[in-house]
Amino acid sequence: MAGKTIVVTSGKGGVGKTTTVANLGTTLAKKKYNVVLLDTDIGLRNLDVVMGLENRIVYNIVDVIEGKCRKEQAMIRDRKLSNLCMIPAAQTREKNSITEEQMKELCSSLAAEFDYVIIDCPAGIEQGFKNAIAGADTALVVTTPEVSAIRDADRVIGLLEAALVRQISLIINRLNAKMVKKGDMMSTNDIIALLSVPLLGVVPESEEVVVSTNRGVPLVHDRSSKAGAAFRGMAARLNGESIPLDGDSRGFFGRMKRLIWD
Amino acid sequence: MLGILRRIWGDGASGQVARKRMQFVLMHDRIDITPDMMEAVKNDIIKVLSRYMEIDGGSVKVDLEEGKDFMALISNVQVKRVYRHSTSG
Ligand SMILES: Nc1ncnc2c1ncn2[C@@H]1O[C@H](COP(=O)(O)OP(=O)(O)O)[C@@H](O)[C@H]1O
Ligand SMILES: [Mg+2]
Repeated sequence: MAGKTIVVTSGKGGVGKTTTVANLGTTLAKKKYNVVLLDTDIGLRNLDVVMGLENRIVYNIVDVIEGKCRKEQAMIRDRKLSNLCMIPAAQTREKNSITEEQMKELCSSLAAEFDYVIIDCPAGIEQGFKNAIAGADTALVVTTPEVSAIRDADRVIGLLEAALVRQISLIINRLNAKMVKKGDMMSTNDIIALLSVPLLGVVPESEEVVVSTNRGVPLVHDRSSKAGAAFRGMAARLNGESIPLDGDSRGFFGRMKRLIWD
Repeated sequence: MLGILRRIWGDGASGQVARKRMQFVLMHDRIDITPDMMEAVKNDIIKVLSRYMEIDGGSVKVDLEEGKDFMALISNVQVKRVYRHSTSG
């Protein structure tokens, strides 16, 4: 059976797409699935540094598409998980060096071999976006609780629907619970009501994200991280497991259970 | 700090302000009505009204107008005569 092809997109830049791809991919690989991450942000490659794989790059996605190498040659294996790999974006090429047709072909050939193909989409709604979504059957739209990010997310959801991407769900990143409590940030429910797309999960604003990016080690490797727990919950739901949404921010009981079971 | 800003801006919690503004902005962004579609709406309004009254088809206007936090469809129709017995049904 063919694997799932999932594009992580947002419209607005800097909202957490690359962070999401790295953490969902790592979690699914830890669950023993075969996972390939595809960086389609041509010209602004980043997934490699977030994954800590920047010094192993030889070939990139454009080389694969232009037939300069086989796709296996461009796949960089993760340092910890042998069933996780990444195809980097080209750094010195243009977004229109590849076409939607070519992306579709690449995605379906990857989906034949992997359980999960996770695509990191560039910001914007131009050719790079169109390429990134061309071969995807599922889209995860990332937004932060801010007006400009939400507006861009709404636009992107419209474009995804027009492109007949069947499954669309929402990820809210960088939620600041204290600000929501004070009434100075839109709540999860406010955002869901505005965008009317099912919610996959909520990631808190967290310094841990910055630290893990600095180190090039995805957050989900750290069992004690709260933001990491949010990504693990999302990966589980993506995988069809019925983990309740509020289980991500574990209270005392959740922590006890973890101590017992882990 | 936020307290000071709030006093300067003189309104309530900014989360609710943002939510209300977004409701309006997204409604606008989503309404992407082409002139063709407006023409079709106009013709359908004429068709429906003509079952009940004689109207001046040439006078019919249909516009979208913005309220403070809503969007309205405004149509102005000159009625010449209302039929005594409705022709509908
Ligand atoms: N939940 C979070 N808390 C704190 N910082 C975050 C969070 N998510 C992302 N960031 C930071 O925001 C920046 C942009 O994230 P990134 O994943 O590269 O966004 P994108 O790929 O959408 O441009 C990075 O510096 C990242 O460390
Ligand atoms: Mg990115």
